[in-house]
Parts: sequence; C-alpha cells; structure tokens
Amino acid sequence: MTQPAPASTAPPPRRFQLPSLSTLGPLIALLIAVIVFSSQSPRFFSGTNFSLILQQISYTAVLAIGQTLIILIAGIDLSIGIVMALGGLVMAKLATQSGLNPLLAIGAGFLTTMFFGFLNSQIITRLRVPPFIATLGMLGIVTALNQTYSGSQTLSNLPPALTALGNTFKIGGTAITYGTVLMLVLYLIAWFVLSETAPGRHVYAVGNNPEAARLSGIPINRLTVTVYTVAGLLYGIAALILVARTGVGDPNAGQTDNLDSITAVVLGGTSLFGGRGNVLGTLLGAIIVGVFRNGLQLIGIASVYQSLITGILIIAAVALDQVSRRKG
Amino acid sequence: MTAPYNPPAPAAPLVMEARNLVKKYGSVIAMNGADFELRPGEILAVIGDNGAGKSSLIKALSGATIPDSGEMFLDGQQIAFRSPIDARRNGIETVYQDLAVAPAMTIAENLFLGREILKPGPLGRLFRLLDKKKMHDEATRHMQGLQFAIKSMRQPVETLSGGQRQGVAVARSAAFARHVVIMDEPTAALGVREGNMVLDLIRKVRDSGLPVILISHNMPHVFEVADRIHVHRMGKRAAILDPKRISMADTVSVMTGAIRPEDLSADMLAG
Repeated sequence: MTQPAPASTAPPPRRFQLPSLSTLGPLIALLIAVIVFSSQSPRFFSGTNFSLILQQISYTAVLAIGQTLIILIAGIDLSIGIVMALGGLVMAKLATQSGLNPLLAIGAGFLTTMFFGFLNSQIITRLRVPPFIATLGMLGIVTALNQTYSGSQTLSNLPPALTALGNTFKIGGTAITYGTVLMLVLYLIAWFVLSETAPGRHVYAVGNNPEAARLSGIPINRLTVTVYTVAGLLYGIAALILVARTGVGDPNAGQTDNLDSITAVVLGGTSLFGGRGNVLGTLLGAIIVGVFRNGLQLIGIASVYQSLITGILIIAAVALDQVSRRKG
Repeated sequence: MTAPYNPPAPAAPLVMEARNLVKKYGSVIAMNGADFELRPGEILAVIGDNGAGKSSLIKALSGATIPDSGEMFLDGQQIAFRSPIDARRNGIETVYQDLAVAPAMTIAENLFLGREILKPGPLGRLFRLLDKKKMHDEATRHMQGLQFAIKSMRQPVETLSGGQRQGVAVARSAAFARHVVIMDEPTAALGVREGNMVLDLIRKVRDSGLPVILISHNMPHVFEVADRIHVHRMGKRAAILDPKRISMADTVSVMTGAIRPEDLSADMLAG
C-alpha cells in the first residue's frame, strides 16, 4: 500500500484564508465609523461616550444572544421584545402593586419570559408551526397581554433591587453600569457554550443539516425546546437591564427589538438559514448599530438617517456574505 | 492494492441473518418472506429493480422500519430494532445516500457528531465540555488508517469534493461500527474518479474486518468490490450470486426476472 491515497487527486482544500468578508466587512465599517465620528465630534471618542453606547445597546444586545441561538437552529423569534416587555411589567407590578419581595418579583419575571420561550418551542415542535408564524402570533398575543396586564400604565417607583443593574462603578474615571458588565459576561458564556460544549455544537448541527443531526442521534425537538427556553431566560435578563436603565415597567417597550436584534445577528455574520455564525459577531453587530446611532446623533444628523444607514448596513452585510460564499 | 478476499468457510457463523421477513403497507407487500445472510469480513452487494423491496429490507436491517413478522439475528443473537439509534447501539452503522454530514462543520466535528469525546473529570461531564484535541487526534489517526488524505481535520466539510464528503460519511460509520456497515448507494452522485475513491475506501473498511452491506444500482461498481451479490426480487431474495463466476448481463437478467435462478448453472451461485 505505497500508492498515494486517492483523495489527493481532489482539489487541494483551502486552509489558510482571511476571515470571511462577512466578519471582516462589519469590522471595517465599525472602524471607519469610529474614525469619521471622532473627527466630526470631539465628544465621540471618549471612555464616557463608549460606556454610554454599551449601556444603550445592553438590553438589545442581551436579547440578540437569544436571537442568535434561535437563528443558529434555523428558527426566528419575532416576539422577543414584547416578551421582554412583559417580563419587565411582571417584575415591576409584583414588586410595587403586589408588594412582593423584589427578588421574587425578578424571579417571576424570568419565569414569565422563559414560559413564553417554552410556549413558542412547543408550538413549533408539537404543532409544527414554522417559527416565523408561531412567534408572529405570539407577538400579537403578548402585545395585547402587556396592555391589559398593565392597564396601559407605566409602572414606576420601583424598589432598588430592580434598578441595581443601572448602578455604576468606575474604571479610570469612566462610569460603567453593572448591566453592561452582565451583558458582556453573558456573551462570553454564550460563546463558550457554543464553541466548547457538545450541546453547543449540536445547535450548529441542527441548523446546518437537521437530517444529519437526527441521524446522529441528536434529539432535535428537545434541543429546540431548550434553545427557546434559554432564550426566554435571556429576555428576562434583558428586561431587568432595561427596567434598571429606565426605572419603569413600560407596556410599550420592546416594540422594535425583534428587528433590532435580528439586525445585530445579521450584521454579526450569522446566517438566517441557520447553522453558521458566531455569537461574538452579534455583539459586534449590536455595537455597530449603537455606534452609528450615537455618532449620528452627536454630529447632529436627524434620526431618520439613522434608520436609513442601519438599513443600508444590513443589506450590505448580507450582500457581502452572499458574494463571499459564492466565491467560496 | 487490497488484501485478497479469502472467503471464510461456509460453516463460519453469520454476522447478520434475517429469516422470512414480511412487511405490508396496506395492500402493498414490500417484503414477502425475505431472507438475508451476511458473512464475516465480506462485502455483500444487495441489488434489485426499483420496487423489488430492497430498501424495505435495508430499512429493517438498519432499524428504520419494523417488519411485521420474521426474525433477525446479529452474531447469532436474536434482535429486534425499534429505531436506527437502536441498530447503531448494536454496532450497525448506516451511510445514507443523501450525505448525512453537516457542511459548515469540520471533519472532526462531523466524525464525532452526536458522540463527542468529553473532557475527563466531573466538570467535563457536567458541562459536557468537548475534548477538541482528542477528537482531532483520533479523527486524524482514523483517517490515516483508512489512507484518506485530508490535510486538516479542521476544514469544514463543505470545502471538500463530493467524493471526499462521502468518504467522511464512510469513515465515520467505519469508526463507530462494531459489527456491520450498511451503505446505501454510496457512489450514486459521484464521478468516475471519486466513485473509485469511495470503492477503495469500502474495501479498506472490509479489510479492517468489518462486513459491508452495499446497496447499489451501479453494476460495474458492484462487480468491482462485491464478494457476493444478493439479488432481491418481488419482496424476497431471488438468489445469491458469485460475481467472479457470473456475467453482469446474466446478473441483470436474474434481477429483472428474465432468467430464473433455477436455470442458472450451480457454480454461478455463491454458497
């Protein structure tokens, strides 16, 4: 058996390649934005402003972790922001009007958002409703629930436990909220789980080729239920961060966060078809949106142009991704 | 290239056996008293016209369907599979036609998909931490054992050619099978060169000691690698042929019913 192995006749695999355009593109966009905004506004390039940007994006960024997990298994969640709002309302209402121990109120908020994540997964796995439709329906249901539960009233006068994540500590003169730190820690945990554990790899496999995953003995339905429920827990944490930042339980919160979270996921290079992507890319995507929003505001550009630019960024990011994949 | 095939004495115990399998779907009879025998260390081709019921037979052997009646044996022990996972637990691995690999994942990840090696210790088990290095090393060792030339186990499977991808699927089943590897049309979607590469791999699996059940429509491929040919017709086994003693044309005639097996000379039949 001295003959060369037959596989060597196939085209040589490309081993060393630059990071794909889908990750490089957004990074370049971010760098250019930072340079442009820094030259246009003296207030942009400062620790305080960067801390503010992170604080502004923190709850959407936490939601986007859940959205990333769901999109990786080729799902989607359109009820994401509304469920978060419900979680915030439950926390605020139980802690104020019902006089419940604030920590228990927070726990009840978490359970609520987890329940709706679980409910979405049951509709998807048992009733075989596509995720888009299941969560679109849930968006309508929970929107109504939020208004009736709160009586369309904003809930304020929250106990300190509910706003603790809005407190700050200082690093070299820059105030940073605990909510920001929590957000960053959650990203690290999500990244670790996805890349270093067996269930994390199963998430990719299910999104990549569900049939292969099934034949490999991966319990697809159980994994789907776990992913949506864990995402639900993340919505609860996002709710707590939002409540801490605004100091109120707001029935109208989270209405655009389904699309905002998808924007962060897509800008971060995760494929909407599932199975490909990186949760740290989502953080990058969320930061890009935050930097553009903040920078455009600082240099005095009307807010309509913020959504214009976000729109262009999304299309450009996905187009770049498609081009790079076709070449590959 | 490969070690000569030394047919074991007919008295050698069968690795897998099925007797009188019956499966009906309403009024359609997919298996009508089908028998099956697999010997140690052989490549047994299973051929049959469309609708002959060979896929029902293979599904029964791989646990994908449950026969209505009949008996199956693995190494002399009676078995009854309720699912493909069940068959796999018993050491029977199946390579499916539609390439059961996850394209964006690496070769090593695909080899160990659903059977990842975890880091030792309670923490590894609790958090199900991957032992990436060990998986990578074992994947490399295994692929080298099959002389499957791939530069890195860290490449995504989608960067491979069709034949190499099929090779990954074959290697994966060979790595985990303890008794039998079943291959469903493994060369169907491949060009000549790639098809030969996979055939080579199939021989290497056999030479490593694992018997292979090869389902194929490709007669030249069947004749190139098979030690015996199981011809399936009308829901049951029509004959077992010896590819060294019968022509391809006669084999096709048996398969289509143009020649009755009884009319073949006895030496064309495999023992």
